[in-house]
Amino acid sequence: MTAAVATLPEDVARVSHELPLRANLSALDNIALIPIYQRHFSVDESNRQALSLLEQLGHAGIAALRDPDMTPAQRFITKLARAIILRRPRLIIDRPGAMLYDVPYPDFIRELAAQAEMAGTWEIFDFSWNQALYQE
Amino acid sequence: MNFLAASIESLGAKVVGWFTVGYGMFAFLARASLLLLDRATWNRATFDVVVKQVYFTAVQILHVFLGYTLVISWLIITIILSTARDFGLTEFASEMTIRVLVLELLPFLTALFIALRSGSAINTEVALMQVNNELDALAHCKVPPMQFEFLPRLIGGVVSVVTLAGLAGLLALLMGYLAIYGMNAAGFEPYTQTIAKIFDFTIVAGLLVKCALFGLAVTLIPVTAGLETPKKLFMVPVSVLRGMMRVFFAIVAIEVVSLALKYI
Amino acid sequence: MNKLHFKVGLFTAASLLLAGIFIVYLLHARGFFEKTFHLQLAAASADGVAPGVPVVFSGIEIGRVTTLGLNDSGGIVIRAEFLGRNAKWLRETSTFTLDKPIVGGAKIRVDSPDLDAPALPDNATMLLLTSDISKEIPALVERVKAILDNVEHLTRKDGEINATLANVKTVTGRMTGEYGMLESILGSKEKARAVTDSLDKTRALITKLDALAAKTDQWLFAQEGVAEQTREALVQVRLMLNDAQSSLKKADALMTNAVEISADVKEGTQDIAALRAEIDDAVRKASALVNEINKKWPFKRDPEVKLP
Repeated sequence: MTAAVATLPEDVARVSHELPLRANLSALDNIALIPIYQRHFSVDESNRQALSLLEQLGHAGIAALRDPDMTPAQRFITKLARAIILRRPRLIIDRPGAMLYDVPYPDFIRELAAQAEMAGTWEIFDFSWNQALYQE
Repeated sequence: MNFLAASIESLGAKVVGWFTVGYGMFAFLARASLLLLDRATWNRATFDVVVKQVYFTAVQILHVFLGYTLVISWLIITIILSTARDFGLTEFASEMTIRVLVLELLPFLTALFIALRSGSAINTEVALMQVNNELDALAHCKVPPMQFEFLPRLIGGVVSVVTLAGLAGLLALLMGYLAIYGMNAAGFEPYTQTIAKIFDFTIVAGLLVKCALFGLAVTLIPVTAGLETPKKLFMVPVSVLRGMMRVFFAIVAIEVVSLALKYI
Repeated sequence: MNKLHFKVGLFTAASLLLAGIFIVYLLHARGFFEKTFHLQLAAASADGVAPGVPVVFSGIEIGRVTTLGLNDSGGIVIRAEFLGRNAKWLRETSTFTLDKPIVGGAKIRVDSPDLDAPALPDNATMLLLTSDISKEIPALVERVKAILDNVEHLTRKDGEINATLANVKTVTGRMTGEYGMLESILGSKEKARAVTDSLDKTRALITKLDALAAKTDQWLFAQEGVAEQTREALVQVRLMLNDAQSSLKKADALMTNAVEISADVKEGTQDIAALRAEIDDAVRKASALVNEINKKWPFKRDPEVKLP
């Protein structure tokens, strides 16, 4: 499983408990980093993009929170937003159970996917014994 | 025989270790300096982090630092003046005060101050980032940690040490004047004369370079020490301990070399 | 408004302002905004002078030696630089002396006895009194002192001359021996030798004083470089030396005379009294001379500079 994740190609955006948020930055800053450093947007513009993404995911309220102050779901949303804003063709959610241990995560992810309206595919890597959870 | 071989081996291991550490540090410094030349580095975000670093390293502690400088300068000046009076060397007292305080002691103490306060914090933070995979996460997002995390710290350290040492030096000059001539303008001419005699171009440039090196040492070494931390939480204190030892040695080495260059 | 940015901005602005003020102050202190004033000093020897040697006035540094060089005639030319504001201490009557204290580095001392005298022009050439005079004066004084010690020694109350001359009254006829008549007068070989030694010493003293006088003449008539005060002192030294010389010559003549005529006891006693008075006088005058040299000589000063 881990090996499979490690060999993923470069064009994949991962959401994983192994890739934490920057602990001393707020959720918004964590997301806005990417437009700033990759697409050289100004700080204001990047913040605007990050905030609109959070709004889209329905969690604009967590913008000012830092990692230790967030619930697992909020942390997951921030990581997801960070992965989305990378704008890579594939998005892989790596073992969501490790991150979303306080919500019924298949439904939660499905809801988010409906809100996000983004291009590309979301793939979920999970342990085979959790397969039953994804049945509609 | 075995004992001898073992000690030679451990000596060899130590030397190799020191070389590795030294090489790592200079390679890191080289990469950082190359990035300084890169236009992409100079964006608003880096600037913001630099500002934040300067705030946490210099501005936040300014009042504490100046108070501490005041006490130290006053003590040293009093000691020098009374000793000079006892030995009948009062004419050298002002020059001695300036040389000891402004050129040597205050930059050194400033570097130690910043090392204890910010150097240790930087070391811990970088070590924790390393252990927590935060650096991997940044790498995955293609946010360069060098530009985003490390370079601003180096710049902030250099700016802070140079500025704080400069402010402390100015304060000491003022204190020295007040201690020697009291609250009047009578000593302005001779004091100016002494200052002019001491601060020639090489001395000022040397002081600036020394402070900049101090600033670099108290940030660069903690960063590299933090990056060396194995991904185990219990290694963080060990990393800080090692980093701070290296910082101390580096500061002393810089001071010794600067003294040697000046007086030999 | 971002409070953090504001504070950092304030800190940076204040630091830059202070740094700027300090740099301007430093440039002012180092004379960046002023014209520099140049001076050339001609010296016989550059021993101890190097670029960077300070030029001091009243104990305060006003300039520095920049270069050393030779002129066409092989003389040494020392170039010194002063800040424009310090040029006012340099007058045409100023003297420049090379000081080499036992403790501390060499320095060139400026003495301007008359600050109303016309100012020196830029690039003027002045004579640097080399360490010759300043070094030799104490040595000469020592020598004069040694000479005077000799005079005092030979005329002291219980000294050989007094004792032996007083004994002239009771001379018995001892006409034989190495020192002939003298020995017979004085009572013993040793005593006779003491008198002749004293005579030799007196003569040596006269020669030395002669040399000292000649040296004084040399300084006195040397071109420039000797301040008015110094000149006066030297004239006085010259006079006193002459005085001491003639006194001692008289003493010499009297002593010779005493030896010759001491066969006649009555005359001898009178002459011996006169001789003692003359020698005492010579010693007193020579002592006064040494004091005078010590007091008047401008190179000897209280070196202590007190801070308020």
